[in-house]
Amino acid sequence: MRDLAVAAAAMAVFTVAQAQDKPAAAPPPSWHQGKPPALGESTLHPFAPNLAGRSAKDLPTDKLKVPPGFKVEVWAEGIPEARSLARGEKGTVFVSNRLSKNVYAVVDRGGTREVKTILKGLNSPNGIAFSRGTLFVAERDKITRYDGIEGRLDNPGQGKVVVEGLDPTQQPGHYWKYLAMGPDGKLYFNIGAPGNIVMPNYTQASIMRVDPGKGVLENVALGVRNSVGFDWNPRTKELWFTNHGRDWLGDDSPNDTLHRVTSKGVHFGYPFCHQGDTLDPDYGKNRSCSEFAPPALKLGAHIAPLGMKFYTGKMFPAEYRNNIFIAMHGSWNRSTKQGYNVTRVVVNDKGKVIRSVPFLTGFLQDERGDPPMWGRPVDVLVMRDGALLVSDDYNGVIYRVSYGK
Amino acid sequence: MTAASATRRGAAIAFAALALGAASVAAADRDAGRRKAEVCAACHGPAGNSVNPAVPSIAGQPAQFVATELFLFREGNRKDPQMSAIAAGLSNGDLNDLAEYFAAERPAPPKHRTAPENAAAAPALAHKFNCVQCHGPELMGQQHIPRLAGQQPDYLLAQLKGFKAGTRADIDGNMTSAAQALSDQDIQVLVDYLAGLSSGN
Repeated sequence: MRDLAVAAAAMAVFTVAQAQDKPAAAPPPSWHQGKPPALGESTLHPFAPNLAGRSAKDLPTDKLKVPPGFKVEVWAEGIPEARSLARGEKGTVFVSNRLSKNVYAVVDRGGTREVKTILKGLNSPNGIAFSRGTLFVAERDKITRYDGIEGRLDNPGQGKVVVEGLDPTQQPGHYWKYLAMGPDGKLYFNIGAPGNIVMPNYTQASIMRVDPGKGVLENVALGVRNSVGFDWNPRTKELWFTNHGRDWLGDDSPNDTLHRVTSKGVHFGYPFCHQGDTLDPDYGKNRSCSEFAPPALKLGAHIAPLGMKFYTGKMFPAEYRNNIFIAMHGSWNRSTKQGYNVTRVVVNDKGKVIRSVPFLTGFLQDERGDPPMWGRPVDVLVMRDGALLVSDDYNGVIYRVSYGK
Repeated sequence: MTAASATRRGAAIAFAALALGAASVAAADRDAGRRKAEVCAACHGPAGNSVNPAVPSIAGQPAQFVATELFLFREGNRKDPQMSAIAAGLSNGDLNDLAEYFAAERPAPPKHRTAPENAAAAPALAHKFNCVQCHGPELMGQQHIPRLAGQQPDYLLAQLKGFKAGTRADIDGNMTSAAQALSDQDIQVLVDYLAGLSSGN
């Protein structure tokens, strides 16, 4: 009923706007949507990346900090708007764009790393996943496969469409996708909510999966505002994901969250309930949080958790095994900024979160500055040797965290 | 030494060698930007201070803004017969060098004189339509957002009309959205006001 009421109200507004023969008020930018009148004067705003990238020489990389015994260095640069990371079986590291249109390959040639632009002109190709010789790329409206990619980086061809029609409404917000290959051989991706706080349609605010051989879609998780990172717990095989909470509810509410999917089709609350225990002031009326799955961990308000990976490498000390690393891309929607780090989450054998602690820090320079940071972690990738790569879309740089005494 | 620590040490040594092989990107170079900008002066004026009302001044604009717009021209999001062709040949390093150069140049005082009635009416409009929220209280711009104060009037007019018509690309849709609420009269008043504002010189 509520969906109908909202839809009817939206249509009524639309009709009135048309009838008045004045310039129709455009919908606000999706990040601005849901800003209450009381915050009308707020100048909080998202930050845009340096689209041409920046040289690591122009960055205060000496400010980066990791725990004792670890070290962090620039691994590759000149990859403007470096977003998601995926690793090929021959060692190629693939890097995606969100606002820009490219997919890159970083190739190690006997100790010299070369950055190649392998795909151009794509439509927000944020999601990339590698499996059995194939690179899968999720654009805003479709997923395409590029078979044998590591043998044809200079001529990957047009690719073959796995599934399309993923953006029928041309949604204004959260249209970019994260993509990962599940242990079941199916591709998992998000379809974000089409704005800050709006009633999603049937496929939006979800994590879905598709069997690449059949092209059949299934819902995996519902009520997920926007997940731009997920991975499978190597011990329990459960899917875990990060989620972005809504904006404009204040500096400390709601938390962004880490979740586990205990069964297919679970609803995680959006837009009715946030962080498992906070009803939305509008959509939460006459609802209860008890009907939705709570988070495994509250990560901090507006901290913008993006890529996450369970650590399965052997380089780091044993206590890091099966921990989760999460790239925190924010915050912007709070007056005192936090995050801009890679956080380590310790999980026990049963899949219960024990604690979380910042792991790679130093990007945040001035918590009240504008901008407050000089770099922004987007995705993490465990390399074959156990080192951890971290992408930074603000600068187009990839860092490498290694351990060794 | 345990086998594990030997492996770790091996990895660390291997990495030290790898680090030397990382393809590096040159730092943004203002002097290189000055040389590369020689061609720009024909339209954008000396040091990026335009004397043509239809061509924007880029002197003293935020570096991120200059690089972003050149990027959008090069990638085809933003289109202009001259700028698209010029940007097509620029590398990312060129974009950053040019941005560094123009950002450090001093904006010239505007020649434009705002009509008194528009000077009186416009500040309320700049507030009402959220201009000051992103472009700043003095409309001086920040990060990827341009300085509007003292900008050439015909250029401002064309941009606002383009945003309203949905034909002028922006990075995040904010200006397209913001311009929808502007009447033609609002646009005229704002342009006359902005073009005469002190550019901080």
